[in-house]
Amino acid sequence: MSLKMKNISFISGMVLLFCILWITGSLAKAPEGFTGYGQDIDISPDDSELVFSHFRYGDATLYTVPVGGGKAKIVAEPEEGKSYINPAFSPDGELIAFIEKWETEERRYSQLRIFNRESQTVKQRINTNGYVTEAAFSPDGRSLYFLKADVFKNYSSITGKRPHEFDIFRMDLTSGETEQLTDKNAYTMSSLDVTPDGKKLLYRTNEGSDDRLVLRSIDNSHVKMIVPMGDFASNSLIMSSPALSPDGEKIVFTGVAAKDENGTFIYEAFKMDLETEQAEQLTTFHEHVANSIFFHNEDKLVVTVDKNFTGADADNSYWQISADGEEHKRVPIDIPEDNETE
Amino acid sequence: MTRMEQHVEKILEQTQSSGKEREEIREELLHHLNEAKQQNMNNGLTEKQAEKQVMADFGNAGDIGYQMQEAMYPYQRGLLYAVGLATILYGLIYYVNAAFFQHDAIPIWLAVQFVTGCMVILAGINISFVGRYFYMLNVVLLVNVIWNGINITLIKGASPWQTILFSIYLLILVLLGLIAVVQNSYYSSGKTVTKQQSRGVVLLGYGVNLLLGIIVAGVSLFFLWAFLFTTGKQLSALLTIAPIFIWLITYKFQMGYIAKKPLISILTGFGFSVLAITVPVLILVML
Repeated sequence: MSLKMKNISFISGMVLLFCILWITGSLAKAPEGFTGYGQDIDISPDDSELVFSHFRYGDATLYTVPVGGGKAKIVAEPEEGKSYINPAFSPDGELIAFIEKWETEERRYSQLRIFNRESQTVKQRINTNGYVTEAAFSPDGRSLYFLKADVFKNYSSITGKRPHEFDIFRMDLTSGETEQLTDKNAYTMSSLDVTPDGKKLLYRTNEGSDDRLVLRSIDNSHVKMIVPMGDFASNSLIMSSPALSPDGEKIVFTGVAAKDENGTFIYEAFKMDLETEQAEQLTTFHEHVANSIFFHNEDKLVVTVDKNFTGADADNSYWQISADGEEHKRVPIDIPEDNETE
Repeated sequence: MTRMEQHVEKILEQTQSSGKEREEIREELLHHLNEAKQQNMNNGLTEKQAEKQVMADFGNAGDIGYQMQEAMYPYQRGLLYAVGLATILYGLIYYVNAAFFQHDAIPIWLAVQFVTGCMVILAGINISFVGRYFYMLNVVLLVNVIWNGINITLIKGASPWQTILFSIYLLILVLLGLIAVVQNSYYSSGKTVTKQQSRGVVLLGYGVNLLLGIIVAGVSLFFLWAFLFTTGKQLSALLTIAPIFIWLITYKFQMGYIAKKPLISILTGFGFSVLAITVPVLILVML
């Protein structure tokens, strides 16, 4: 072979190899699934840390980050295909209850887990066929209340599959015994919270097309329906993610504050006085405020803002806001890379 | 061109030599072939038969060229092929790994990797042309070495072990590239070294000058990293890698000088290196 032919053959071969690699590389399917921050967060009892879920290609890992922002630390990482969501701190900050969620071809699973920060272990205290969606510790730290649905399906053809037939349960953290507190088989129940005196439970449910807040006495099952009054932009009462203030006198929740030019609801945080049931708009992000939570000792809140509410995937970020909503500051979070050690 | 001249050219295609050296080899080979041809003609063969017989006796041009190359520049071509192929192989493995397991493949990176690897292999294939300018061959090798050095800082392995393996691979590759540079400089300068100069001192001259080059490249890349980190992507960032180019240009003059005055060349090389770094840095500061 002449020198010229050698050169031509070599260069052609390399160009061909490059093209094959380029095309093959571009065809390599990127993993699917949501990547970004989860909606639900909790603040540690000493107000020093936030616990949150961060999704990577659909799988969520639990992280903590200083409440003012900084480098996130992995709390618990699930195996591939599973997600850890809806974290909640225990009153002493030693335990974090959360939901482990995964799916098989046959069905979906949503189980309650407890992470012990001292032993760095995840424990499964109950095993149920139902779908545990969230949990809240009692103020004395002895009990864990949780919501469990019996079915996961779509009752209506216009909605996707969701958990239904909810009830509230209580687990004694010492003995591990679980008891059912309600017998409602509710269509929906969410945002379970316990009043600071430990005597009542707060949760969100609905009545027809209206959302309702419910305060339920733990001892005598007395129920008080709360219908916040306020300047809402929706005809029916739409609200989500209610959370109690540390003194138990106020509730912050997400409500419809306005409509944009396309008629899409703009959700902001509202603060309601529990006694008067009068709610006032707290935030003016003009985005979708998905979740709000009070600090324990300071007069501040942390809210989750979704900047892509109408899009396919959420674009959540966390913000500290003052009690009057006047000041807000983003919580910058640095998620460590895969191979970065803590 | 006669058939014997063509035969000689084919031999020379396989050998690395400077223009003057090449002319001497050409003349010597032709002289030898002509003598043999004359001998054959004296033995009763026609001119055509005599030429044919001479070339048959002389042997395959490719094989002779290869043997001459190996005698004058032992393992030089093999080393070039090894460095070039290893560079391309790294590109292939790293790109496939990045595309399929990390979903972070960068085609431009692969293109640069292939170009730097192919340039070294092409230099090996065209050794007769590239070898005439041994400075050019060193530039091709040094570009490859610098790029693979940058690659060490860019490794994103799926696990710490993968990162370590990639790093070891690249370090060996960089080392092979540097050996090729020193070897090329050493053998290419062999003819100009006088008897008074020890080959060891010349080798030291090449080694130290190369080390200075690595330091210049390292400092430049550090400045580039710091610039990009603090100021962001700007055209003026290119000034931070200007020392590498300045050093490469001065290295051309150094190379001729090293063979003649190896010890003094270390001092001038140091001076050039300092100059290569300070001038762009001063310009950057003044900007």
